[in-house]
Amino acid sequence: MGEVIVVTSGKGGVGKTTTTANLGTGLASHNKKVCLVDADIGLRNLDVVLGLENRIVFDIVDVTSGVCRMRQALIKDKRYESLYLLPAAQTKDKTAVSPEQMVELTEELKKEFDFIIIDCPAGIEQGFRNAVAGANKAIVVTTPEVSAVRDADRIIGLLEAAELREPKLIINRYRTKMVNRGDMMSIDDMNEILAIDLLGVVPEDEQVVVTTNKGETVVRDDQSQSGQAYRNITRRILGENIPLMNLEEPGGFFSALKKMIGLK
Amino acid sequence: MTKEELSNTDSVSRRFPMELENLVDENTILVQRTLRSGQSICHDGNVVVLGDVNPGAEVVATGNIIVMGSLRGVVHAGAKGDANAVIIGFRLRPTQLRIGNHITRPPEDELSDPNYPELARIKNGVVTIETFNSTFK
Repeated sequence: MGEVIVVTSGKGGVGKTTTTANLGTGLASHNKKVCLVDADIGLRNLDVVLGLENRIVFDIVDVTSGVCRMRQALIKDKRYESLYLLPAAQTKDKTAVSPEQMVELTEELKKEFDFIIIDCPAGIEQGFRNAVAGANKAIVVTTPEVSAVRDADRIIGLLEAAELREPKLIINRYRTKMVNRGDMMSIDDMNEILAIDLLGVVPEDEQVVVTTNKGETVVRDDQSQSGQAYRNITRRILGENIPLMNLEEPGGFFSALKKMIGLK
Repeated sequence: MTKEELSNTDSVSRRFPMELENLVDENTILVQRTLRSGQSICHDGNVVVLGDVNPGAEVVATGNIIVMGSLRGVVHAGAKGDANAVIIGFRLRPTQLRIGNHITRPPEDELSDPNYPELARIKNGVVTIETFNSTFK
């Protein structure tokens, strides 16, 4: 039986979809059978981020309303044989699916996949309730901003009420230089308020925008720091014990030189 | 000690035991978790929180409120107008404190980050914060 993980945040724009795409790709690269479910009906994005938009024929609402079978709606990824996407509907709204239907849907997917990752919409209304209905694990994504942390805290409370115990935290768009200057919340600051297990910290990285706009995932980019962060998170989900990576931003030529001659 | 004696003495160390005794009689509930944003506790009596009260969370009690953790949200003690109600927090950093009919917020220019228990109550008509220490016993 597969694991159903919901990726959620409360606030919009913190990187739920990017995280979902990268974790899915990362897990698939470890030869796991993965299905990504876009629960953001009416505002679908996951297909665009994965570069699969032009392959959509049927969507999640077609499956739950019986227009098509599950197999017909699943889209196979371009790069990984074991990665599939169940896209959201774009012309409907959140009320087109009920929590009961989501439970049914995830039960069916569990039989076939090792991991089902649900991309939750922003907000705490029906879209959220749908996304968490069938999940048995939760990942909360936040950025180091008070508003995002506040919403994450609200979401953790709602997850507890929905019997989703021990959610894990991913801190996205972390900027070490700003934290060192005291201009951004640090990992400790966020941990003090949220007090849940940290799954990983993803540094701010232009490469995320570059890859996303091309329908690629940064987790496949060996050069980037954020890609490394997502690869580490993937391995932690698979049960490996990997320490947090060094988030110091690479310095310029002179700091490298200084390091070499032992000045630093 | 009678009520009159109580009002005659200014010594905090001698006043507090009476309040503690009063606590025992009244209806007190234990909240054995952290209150997160959006969660609230409303109780006719005293409330003891064994955890934090995060920003965006709310505790309203007609009696006293004790938070055995960081108090960062909004708390209202003596919600039915009891000006003798007290608020105790292990780390008192509230968004807003309300006691009886008084509403206060921490000063904006002053950055205090206490790492010891503090007590808030109304003294001479204003909400005052003082260090809570063993001399209260």
